[in-house]
Amino acid sequence: MTEAAPHARPFPTDAASLVDHARSLDCIHCGLCLTTCPTYQLTGSETSSPRGRIHLMRAVAEEREEPTVEFAEEMDFCLVCRHCESVCPAGVEFGAMMEFTRGKLEETGTRGPLARLVRWIGFRRILPSRAGLKLAVGGLALAQRLGLTRLAPLVAGLRGEVTAALPPVPPRRERRPLPAVTPARGASRGRALVLEGCVMPELFGRVNHAEARLLAAAGFETMSVPKHVCCGALHAHNGELEQARELARSTIERFDAVDDSCPVVLDSAGCGAHMREYGRLLANDPAWAARAEAFGRRVVDMSEVLAAPESLERLASRLRETTSLRGPITWDAPCHLCHGQQVRSQPLALLDALPGVERVALEGAESCCGSAGIYSVLRPSDSLEVLEPKLEALRRSGARTLVTANPGCHQQWQVGVRRAGLDVEVVHLAEALDRALEG
Amino acid sequence: MELAAIVGERGVRSDALARSAYESDGFMLQREAPSIVVLPRSTEEAAAAVKVLRREGLVVVPRGAGTGLTGGARPIAGGAVLGTARMKRILEINPDDRFARVEAGVVNVHLTAATCSHGLFYAPDPSSQTACTIGGNVGNNSGGPHCFKYGSTNRHVLGLTLVDSDGEITRVGGIEPDPDGIDLLGPLVGSEGMMGLVTEVTVKLEPSPERVETLLVMFESLDACCDAVSDMIAARLEPSAIEILDRLTIEAVEASVLRAGYPEHAEAVMLVEVEGGPHEVDAIATDIIELARARGAFEARRTADDEERKKLWAGRKGAFGAMGRIAPDLYVADVVVPRTRLREIVGVASRACAARGLKLSNVFHAGDGNLHPNISYDRRDADEVARVLAAGKEIMEACVAFGGSLTGEHGVGLEKQGEMCLVFGDDDLAAMSDLRAAFDPHGFWNPGKLFPVRGCREIEARPLGSEAR
Ligand SMILES: Cc1cc2nc3c(=O)[nH]c(=O)nc-3n(C[C@H](O)[C@H](O)[C@H](O)COP(=O)(O)OP(=O)(O)OC[C@H]3O[C@@H](n4cnc5c(N)ncnc54)[C@H](O)[C@@H]3O)c2cc1C
Ligand code: SF4
Ligand code: SF4
Repeated sequence: MTEAAPHARPFPTDAASLVDHARSLDCIHCGLCLTTCPTYQLTGSETSSPRGRIHLMRAVAEEREEPTVEFAEEMDFCLVCRHCESVCPAGVEFGAMMEFTRGKLEETGTRGPLARLVRWIGFRRILPSRAGLKLAVGGLALAQRLGLTRLAPLVAGLRGEVTAALPPVPPRRERRPLPAVTPARGASRGRALVLEGCVMPELFGRVNHAEARLLAAAGFETMSVPKHVCCGALHAHNGELEQARELARSTIERFDAVDDSCPVVLDSAGCGAHMREYGRLLANDPAWAARAEAFGRRVVDMSEVLAAPESLERLASRLRETTSLRGPITWDAPCHLCHGQQVRSQPLALLDALPGVERVALEGAESCCGSAGIYSVLRPSDSLEVLEPKLEALRRSGARTLVTANPGCHQQWQVGVRRAGLDVEVVHLAEALDRALEG
Repeated sequence: MELAAIVGERGVRSDALARSAYESDGFMLQREAPSIVVLPRSTEEAAAAVKVLRREGLVVVPRGAGTGLTGGARPIAGGAVLGTARMKRILEINPDDRFARVEAGVVNVHLTAATCSHGLFYAPDPSSQTACTIGGNVGNNSGGPHCFKYGSTNRHVLGLTLVDSDGEITRVGGIEPDPDGIDLLGPLVGSEGMMGLVTEVTVKLEPSPERVETLLVMFESLDACCDAVSDMIAARLEPSAIEILDRLTIEAVEASVLRAGYPEHAEAVMLVEVEGGPHEVDAIATDIIELARARGAFEARRTADDEERKKLWAGRKGAFGAMGRIAPDLYVADVVVPRTRLREIVGVASRACAARGLKLSNVFHAGDGNLHPNISYDRRDADEVARVLAAGKEIMEACVAFGGSLTGEHGVGLEKQGEMCLVFGDDDLAAMSDLRAAFDPHGFWNPGKLFPVRGCREIEARPLGSEAR
């Protein structure tokens, strides 16, 4: 939310509770959230709807139902897109509730041993470590060069097909980190700290560079945070809460060491939604609660900073017509931007500042694309089914460039567009603006 | 499994966990899970599934989105739920003859969205319209704010496709407003799923008005607001919708994601919609505001901006959900009184709740004299549940005594079964039961709803709240 709640409601602390029962009581069962839910759309099953999942969580908390494998499956089927939160008049904090439940399912070991091993490698060894990430992405790059990914469908089925459709890993020069400081152009309006992120520098390094240039053009002295790797968003969404807390604490420390008061600016919606809520994540940790809450309030999305009147004015004066963006363009709102952070109008205002570019609306632009963090890896078939109606909408829109603002969505769209054989380029909002930015 | 072969793997759910999500609709006072959930994708699949279910000796409860508020869409003691959530195709839109043919599971608001490019819309607009289905609207003969001008669902249904208890597919009505022969649509619309599964509906579409304005009128007293409604009607100022929200509701809505900009210091706000040609709209709006001021309205706002209008209405439509901020559950009563007696029935409801220590908020489709006294409660508190039921009964009795009725639009379901006896005698109920049997001789469809469980004479002696769990 743009205005953070005064104090985050903490998660329950008693070891016995598998579910955040207090939060589940907020739901009044009106059903207004049903149609927003991608898994309800897909199945028509109310068990797989937000209201249904809240009911299940509450029933488990009240010991009317058992936390069976089916229960875990229903929780895992959810994309945590939080679209349901955007329409819920009762203010149900669905994302928070789901994170807590998944965390407990993880602790109680409802999942099988192989799944747990894979998760352990991913969450403990790859995401939080630059070396681990480089190794994984390097492996993918090598496989792509050797043409091995083309064989992936044979050995790994649908998951392999998706791997084969992944865009090539960018060349090394696009993967270099940001400079420590990017000076403001013109009179400085203050500092901005940017998060480079875990996979962003490896797969979308060009986006981070574009973001820094845009912030500089809008008058901000832009600082990167050395040695920082991961904010813990993927961990939290997938129930690795302890690891997520550790990563939150180290993130706060590293950022504060560079500057402890300026805005923290993000170009990845999933990370932004998570970092704004550090206060809740650490609410039960007396040494950190207040600091985390204060840090969360400094977190903003890039589009919020750039669309503020003074920024937009400065930026607009530097935007030129460009041939490197094919019109018409369209905007697909990342769930964790529109539903997770209530940021809706700013990206549109920025796109409309692009000279000579026609923008068309995308039907269902606020519905989930199926990426949902690592969901697309864990459940490729569901993930692609969720994307299907969106691809149809893209086709109908006639757009030739699709703009998004989150690495997961970016990749999901790239895979989808490729598989569907559409002639549409997928770009990040920062790239779109940066291409029109004069030298 | 045979059913899975008909409706596909994803169309059958029989594990306890999955079924439990169907143990209630929006009516939470009592709950009961079905023994199986079946979700067909077409009329033909539904018909085939019905044959299997019937052979297996199960009874069937039709279900749309489960937003009903009277317990209509869940079983009373096992049986199957047959849901239309996967039947959501819009089959035909005919802009020239102004009708649309849709599958029963099409969400109300999606129909209007699909027709607006033709300059048409589907008029019945329940507050749950972003979720509820056209089939469910038919089941409950649902209304909505704009039904003051346009009439409820029954005024808009031209034809139906029905699957009966033998799994036969029957078409009733057509596309013309007055089909030949006896009108069977009448009894079917509002039959609460007790006469068969509706799988397709042909509805009338209305031309979008040239100009629409929404008025937000603020009052320092709820009584004055009620009186202003009577004045408006007496003066023959006919807007297309007149809604009232009281203070507690305003506060809850303003604290929610749907905050609409209602003034929190008002005791009541009236939301009025006026449509027509620009001059007509201007004249009516001016007159309404003048009249409201005479009744003490302290401020009035007019807007024709679509975004702003949408916000004002979204707040109204989320009112029920917003009450989730007050207590875990909400009982939504649905009574109708002659409009001149609105303020009296509000008084009755306030006293009935105050005497029992219950929290009451009020929303009404004031134009129709349809009041929703909303009582907040917590289903885990058995004593509170009993008090809610008692207050509800007192309010319904008063309405009948005022010459009103038990239900404006939500249907009878389980909630008002017993109270049917306030309005009907055993003979009336027997006649209705015969009519139902003509469509469903086996008691296969949604048994145990609408009609009192026992004869009316016995019911009078039944202790209140004895059925609540
Ligand atoms: C927030 C909120 C606001 C509401 N506002 C209004 C309002 O303004 N006006 C109003 O009238 N109601 C309102 N309601 C009540 C409810 O939304 C309506 O009754 C709606 O029409 C129910 O539709 P549904 O698809 O959810 O049907 P369900 O609740 O699933 O079913 C309702 C009844 O119809 C039967 N049924 C469902 N589908 C079929 C079918 N295909 N064939 C045969 N029978 C069927 C069911 O058996 C049941 O008896 C509101 C409810 C909520 C939660
Ligand atoms: S909209 Fe909110 S209160 Fe209503 S059913 Fe969904 S989660 Fe519950
Ligand atoms: S978070 Fe998304 S997928 Fe999960 S219940 Fe809510 S709307 Fe459905």
